[in-house]
Amino acid sequence: MGEEILRNLRKDFLVEFRSRFALNVSIAFAVIATVSLSLTAGGTPFSPLVQSILLWIIIFFSAMNGLSHIFVREEDQATSLFLRITVSVDSVFISKFLYNQIFMMIIIAVVTPLFLFFLQIHVALICYFICTAIAGGMAIASCTTIVAAMVAKAGGRGSLFSILSFPLLLPVLWVSISSTRGALDGSSPAEDASLVFLLAFSGFISAISFLLFRFVWIEE
Amino acid sequence: MTSARYRIEARGLTKRFGRNLVFKDLNLELETGNSLCVTGPNGSGKSTLLKILAGVLAPSEGKVMYTDIDRGSVLNEWISCIGYSGPLINPYDDLTAMENISFTSAGAGPSRIDSLLHRFGLTAHKDKKIRFYSSGMKQRLRFILAELNDPPVLLLDEPGTNLDESGRHMLRAHLDEASKEKIIILATNDGDDQTICGREIRLG
Repeated sequence: MGEEILRNLRKDFLVEFRSRFALNVSIAFAVIATVSLSLTAGGTPFSPLVQSILLWIIIFFSAMNGLSHIFVREEDQATSLFLRITVSVDSVFISKFLYNQIFMMIIIAVVTPLFLFFLQIHVALICYFICTAIAGGMAIASCTTIVAAMVAKAGGRGSLFSILSFPLLLPVLWVSISSTRGALDGSSPAEDASLVFLLAFSGFISAISFLLFRFVWIEE
Repeated sequence: MTSARYRIEARGLTKRFGRNLVFKDLNLELETGNSLCVTGPNGSGKSTLLKILAGVLAPSEGKVMYTDIDRGSVLNEWISCIGYSGPLINPYDDLTAMENISFTSAGAGPSRIDSLLHRFGLTAHKDKKIRFYSSGMKQRLRFILAELNDPPVLLLDEPGTNLDESGRHMLRAHLDEASKEKIIILATNDGDDQTICGREIRLG
């Protein structure tokens, strides 16, 4: 199984980095949104709460542009049957899940420094800020993997993915925003529980998704 | 892998898409060394039956069982025992034939890969991206991918499609040889392909 997961992960990265479609679209969105925001703001100072809301809105929509691609591409290019007969159901889910986690970390790694730089934001608790960004990113990728698998089989995939993901991600965004605000203004991270919540939420959704993926993947 | 003996049993297979009944109460049993040809008009459910036997499509009723005869065990997941080739199997266009082969390979050695590429005439094209392949070359590659891991069961949907005369000869020779030590199920209406099989079921 481990060998199957690695083969599929390697294939997904090879296909993605040969076209770079999803990554380019997501990073382009993140850069455009951040630069436009900083130009529009024109040096106006935002409160830490507004800054963290803006950061997570940009992360959310950048992710929405790319996270569904991992399953949608298989349907668009009609390769899903080839994948089904080559790799077992569990290996498909785990490899796509890992791919989305790595993809999300790349988005976070690009968006966050850009955002801090262009909006001239000072982070009071840098380690806590990084942990929040990573935990929030993991939770977003965990929730959206199963949604992407379901949406890939439907029509109107692009908009459907954002719409279906949003209610599932609402608690994640809420907690991530509040936790990021704490890291920016240096208020005592009384919301330490928020990191635990984000990790627990990721674990819970991932486990449920793993168990249910078989019913999405095998056609009825 | 082909030294092991397997049995496929399908009992009471029925498939419906909505209200449309494709086939009903289909039974079959095959063991290593048996081959079966599934024939029937377009839309009769040949490809659907092969997908069900491969485990990628659930039947509406009935069940499929794969048994390892030597061990006497029923397999829970049989994807690794199957080589499946058909017009709906599309290798990754952005990858080369070798990259698709390495994605599919579960331990196939370089000698097996080279011998299949040579046998199906793709050695000179192995480093080309699939998007630049002709439909006949893609069909040859599909067959290589299906045979790569030397699976004990071959499910072939319209295997002769898009192949030229030499491709058909190669396929025919390969299947004649493989039919002695594998279970082969062909879905085809091509009379030449049908002669390979010992048994036939007609759908529709």
